[in-house]
Amino acid sequence: MTDISRISALNEKYSIFARMADDPKTDSEFLFSAEDNLTSKDIETRCGSRILDGHRPVFDAYVIEKMKAYGGELIGKTNMDEFGAGSFCTNSSFGVPKNPFDMERSCGGAAGGSACAAAVIEDHISLAASTNGSICCPASFCGVFGLAPTYGRISKFGLVDCSNSIDKVGLISSDPKRIAEFLPVISGKDARDPTSCAQPPLELKGRKIKTVAVPKDALSNLSKDVASCFDSSLDALKGMGIEVDTVEMPSLKYAQPACTVIAAAEASTNLASYVGMRYGQQDGDLSLKFDDYFTSVRTEYFGEEVKKRIILGTFVRMGEARERYYMKSLKARHLVISCYKKVFEDHDAVLTPTMPIISPRFDEISMMTSAGSDQAGRLTAPPDLAGMPHISVPCGYSGNGMPIGMQMVTDHWNEDPLLTFANDWGSVFDIKRPEVTL
Amino acid sequence: MNKETLTRVAKNAHLAFSEEDVERYCVSLGEMINQLNILDEVPKEEAYVVNPVEIADILRDDVSGIFMDPYELLKGMKTYENYVRGPRLL
Repeated sequence: MTDISRISALNEKYSIFARMADDPKTDSEFLFSAEDNLTSKDIETRCGSRILDGHRPVFDAYVIEKMKAYGGELIGKTNMDEFGAGSFCTNSSFGVPKNPFDMERSCGGAAGGSACAAAVIEDHISLAASTNGSICCPASFCGVFGLAPTYGRISKFGLVDCSNSIDKVGLISSDPKRIAEFLPVISGKDARDPTSCAQPPLELKGRKIKTVAVPKDALSNLSKDVASCFDSSLDALKGMGIEVDTVEMPSLKYAQPACTVIAAAEASTNLASYVGMRYGQQDGDLSLKFDDYFTSVRTEYFGEEVKKRIILGTFVRMGEARERYYMKSLKARHLVISCYKKVFEDHDAVLTPTMPIISPRFDEISMMTSAGSDQAGRLTAPPDLAGMPHISVPCGYSGNGMPIGMQMVTDHWNEDPLLTFANDWGSVFDIKRPEVTL
Repeated sequence: MNKETLTRVAKNAHLAFSEEDVERYCVSLGEMINQLNILDEVPKEEAYVVNPVEIADILRDDVSGIFMDPYELLKGMKTYENYVRGPRLL
């Protein structure tokens, strides 16, 4: 079986891709995939949404451009929650990826397809975007490594805007060395994204983490399996000569609600451009007055979870709600950043479990409310809101064999020690790969 | 969130809901908004930041140029004589 036909068979089994490349080159140096919110000129870009069905961008995102220039071939666009709205990658119009450790369970979201690809395709690297744990959550659920770098480290040119002040592009792979190899390839200043232009140079010098802080509150309300694996991991860290302290970080409790508000507020304005003209679906009744036309197209093609985010985001920008929710969220972001900076005066990194639970079953997810599903992201929201680099590494397995991850956060622009740690951890921790039969 | 607020916000957001949808969305959005109440504890006088890291204003040279061929951009759009087609304004 060739690489391509094997990947097609894997896709058939696990619903990894929203769309695979029609005729990929087989002589490229390596294959990579990209989440479906990164524009690609050869493959449709739909962000998991029917409203973008048929959308073929005319340019590649910066990161795809860079990966191709490095010798890569884009094999497919991975399944994701519609416009990133969700925690379990179950809100996609083009397939729900299945967890390779247990096909009745979620891959995590929003970039579930990317984590699934990294888990089942040998030596694979996948590009993904993170807004509220969208890289670390699926990396944790699928037992792979996921890096969300500092906000602004990687140009977002060609990333379909959802939440501009939080979104960042990152990498997912089963091999931390692959992440360290490709981060320099896709990072750097790009005049087409001003947020990338203030960054200091990326220097990968093998700096090690010597002290980590574990926020006390992060240890409450964890599932039994997660708590037990995390405890064992702390012992393993101590065995590696890393000092572990428990600290108070009370402001982190504001991060998840603030992330929800800012992400929804920004998404509600960004998604206002999808009205049945210019992109994707353009089959509405043009004899309608423009307000009615826009409303009919948006009502028909946006999914339920996205509609909720649009309503919430519009609401928190209106009248008195603006001060109470939106402005308070911006202030909460300042508090969260200050809280991290204070801890980084005495510690190299902050460590928590990545997710408080193991990957839930699809039937469990169908019973969850949107609010409940948001709560699952309470440990991944703080670094994403603060724009700090963070990595999820596998740290154990539950009684039923599901992967569990832990998340390391460092100060802005300090990706180097995260990658050094991931590499060192990869050599002391026994990482299991899922059994894949075709 | 009550029905009146939801209906008003939905109109602004160009979304329409059936009576049944309104009931469901009010409950679900109400739960989401309840979770945000903890933000009331954030001090009013706290400073705020729009971006998590400093953003530099970097000006490029004032050289005119075309970012992308406009006809290339029109390829995926429904057009009439190279104008994007849209609904009526009046």
